[in-house]
Amino acid sequence: MIDLQLAAAEVFMVCAICVVLLVDVWLPDERRLLTFRLALLSLVGAAVCSAYYLPNGSVTAFSESFVTDPASAVMKIFAYLIVGLVFIYSRDFLMRAGLFKGEFFILALFALLGIMVMLSAHSMLTMYLGLELLALSQYALVAFDRDSPIAAESAMKYFVLGAIASGTLLYGISFIYGVTGTIQLGAIAAHFSQPGAITVPALLGLAFIIVGVAFKFGAVPFHMWLPDVYQGSSTPVTLFIGSVPKIAAFALAWRILSESLGDMHGSWQTMLAVLCVLSLVIGNIVAIAQSNIKRMLAYSTISHVGFIFMGFIAGTEDGLQAAMFYTLVYTLMAAAAFGMVILLSRSGFDAENLDDFKGLNARSPWFAFVMLMVMFSMAGVPPFVGFYAKLVVLGSVLDAGLIWLAITGVLLAVIGAFYYLRVVWFMYFVDPVDDSPLDAALDFRVVISANGLGLLALGLFPGVLLDLCARVIG
Amino acid sequence: MITISHYLVLAAVLFSISVAGIFINRKNVILLLMCIELMLLAVNFNFIAFSRMLDDTLGQIFVFFILTVAAAEAAIGLAILVVLFRARQSVNVEELNSLKG
Amino acid sequence: MIATLLFYAFAAVLTVAALGVVTSKNPVHAAFFLVLAFFQSALLWLLIDAEFLAIVLVLVYVGAVMVLFLFVVMMLDINVEQLRQGYTRYLPLGVVVAGVVILEIVHVIWYRSQGLPILSVPTSHGPDYSNTKELGAVLYTEHVFAFEIAAVLLLLAIVAAITLTMRKRPGLKVQNIAEQVAVRSADRIRVVKVDAVTDAKD
Repeated sequence: MIDLQLAAAEVFMVCAICVVLLVDVWLPDERRLLTFRLALLSLVGAAVCSAYYLPNGSVTAFSESFVTDPASAVMKIFAYLIVGLVFIYSRDFLMRAGLFKGEFFILALFALLGIMVMLSAHSMLTMYLGLELLALSQYALVAFDRDSPIAAESAMKYFVLGAIASGTLLYGISFIYGVTGTIQLGAIAAHFSQPGAITVPALLGLAFIIVGVAFKFGAVPFHMWLPDVYQGSSTPVTLFIGSVPKIAAFALAWRILSESLGDMHGSWQTMLAVLCVLSLVIGNIVAIAQSNIKRMLAYSTISHVGFIFMGFIAGTEDGLQAAMFYTLVYTLMAAAAFGMVILLSRSGFDAENLDDFKGLNARSPWFAFVMLMVMFSMAGVPPFVGFYAKLVVLGSVLDAGLIWLAITGVLLAVIGAFYYLRVVWFMYFVDPVDDSPLDAALDFRVVISANGLGLLALGLFPGVLLDLCARVIG
Repeated sequence: MITISHYLVLAAVLFSISVAGIFINRKNVILLLMCIELMLLAVNFNFIAFSRMLDDTLGQIFVFFILTVAAAEAAIGLAILVVLFRARQSVNVEELNSLKG
Repeated sequence: MIATLLFYAFAAVLTVAALGVVTSKNPVHAAFFLVLAFFQSALLWLLIDAEFLAIVLVLVYVGAVMVLFLFVVMMLDINVEQLRQGYTRYLPLGVVVAGVVILEIVHVIWYRSQGLPILSVPTSHGPDYSNTKELGAVLYTEHVFAFEIAAVLLLLAIVAAITLTMRKRPGLKVQNIAEQVAVRSADRIRVVKVDAVTDAKD
């Protein structure tokens, strides 16, 4: 296959973005729905491209700066799916808030392109460019609601901290380049597989890279931006930032730490273990104190990041598969959770507080049940898929002989279950604060129900996704 | 004679000055943006010095792209700053306290 | 020998300029210190044969990015005095952090860099060497994918900056070039017939 065919999905996405951008410019406001439909259509087109040009093994292109393999193709298709969910959940909310502009969809597609570039990066340069494409669109998305001072403030904080993290990551990459003489991931791996190649300057570079990776994941102590950005941006943007970019963070850690610096595993294992334990502790404990559901979900993200790190810490093939499984499951859960927050909002009213979930069962038994499935899944209650995600990650850590880490994980997961179950308690056993019925479009209702039921179905048959992960990665 | 390590140390000094600047000017967003530019300059020094040491163009190509990205980043950062100023009439981070973190 | 002297001179000015950026009281002064720092860096890059990047740094950074910075700083009309309060509170912390970072990195570079030929003196390329040609040869071939992604990034920057800052508010005065060009004298000037005054005094 020629290079352009291997990158067909990326090429298609760039063209689709240009088309959507041009169409949107000439569209009168009342026909803005066309932008939404075109954006969904471009996701479908990209999925077709990714599936049609699915390679059997790992193939590189563009002078080894781009790689495509089954794992990246699967994750890309998953990313299209989640972005599609984000678009469908966001549409009505944006219309009510007067934010239904083409730029939301265009910036989200730019961010998706960044994620695709990162998933297929085979050199430090393309990884960095993909990362910046994603990050810059996210900064703009957070500030998208221009009349909200709180959105502008969180965007500024996110921007400054994000730019510092990129600078740190680059400083680390410069040392790795100095030591190995290349920026191409395969060649870096080959260099470090030689005996005696792991020198002090390489470790210095590694430390700076770990800081950058930890920031992009939002691991403690580099998590300061996460709760503010989740709370400050409007809910559709939070929905976007809270779900898909985790796939990109996984790609960053997978390509750089496991693939190219895999032979330095002994050195980064300890650093990641510290970040992992801190994230689990801070994430789960601080979440209990939150009364704002977006902040609560932000701290819950931090604790999930701790679990994703566990897979990398194990350093085995099983661990990597477990981390990939956890990441994909997490994006599905996060999309459903923020979708529920959007469902409860009405015009002029953001359902931001936990109190808004009180008595949801009396208002709508079905959607209370959907939220129950999401919360149980996040808490790791069987038979929902979140349980299996935690199980495989903890299993991989146990196999690697890190019993203390597994015990810490289990303990904090139990503590963390408290605040998820509190939401369920609020929905079923507390009287509602307001009784107005939920109003949402039919497609919204169908899709979010499917999303919630998907968590149950994947939990009943976890083998489907687990086998897929095992087949494509490692 | 001037060796590669001279350049690396100079880059380290620049990097530390920018980190210190970020701590000192925590209140002033514009100066924070300038400190970030300084940090990227330090990174560029490292890449160019290593590129010269290895006699290889890769490092310089990387710098070319960092310059491009940094220009885009500055444009978006300043746009957010303008939005923030319109909403708050201030660039003082200490007044930016509606969010807890 | 001259190269050594030049290096120390430029490096000294660069360090002073960098310190100026982080400590100056006024954002405009800081911006000008940053311009100085970029100029010194460009000179230092020239010393190790990175001519193309040195020129790009001056053209793009000093010419465009810093001008944008100054534009925004002056447009926003910032209260400088207010920003200075609490400055000294973080100064010790900043100095300590910077000191630790410098010590660690210099320690690694100077004493622990086994296997890295960083103490080598770069030999100057001959007069026929063209840095621009060398970069151009690989930029559009080996790195074409990265180049295209960078182009998309710039498009994103345009879209994002316009989305965030362009407003159509009532009462905003804008030029409509097409209307200006299409204007004819009949739309602007009214010719009035005035009767001549016959009985002037002198």
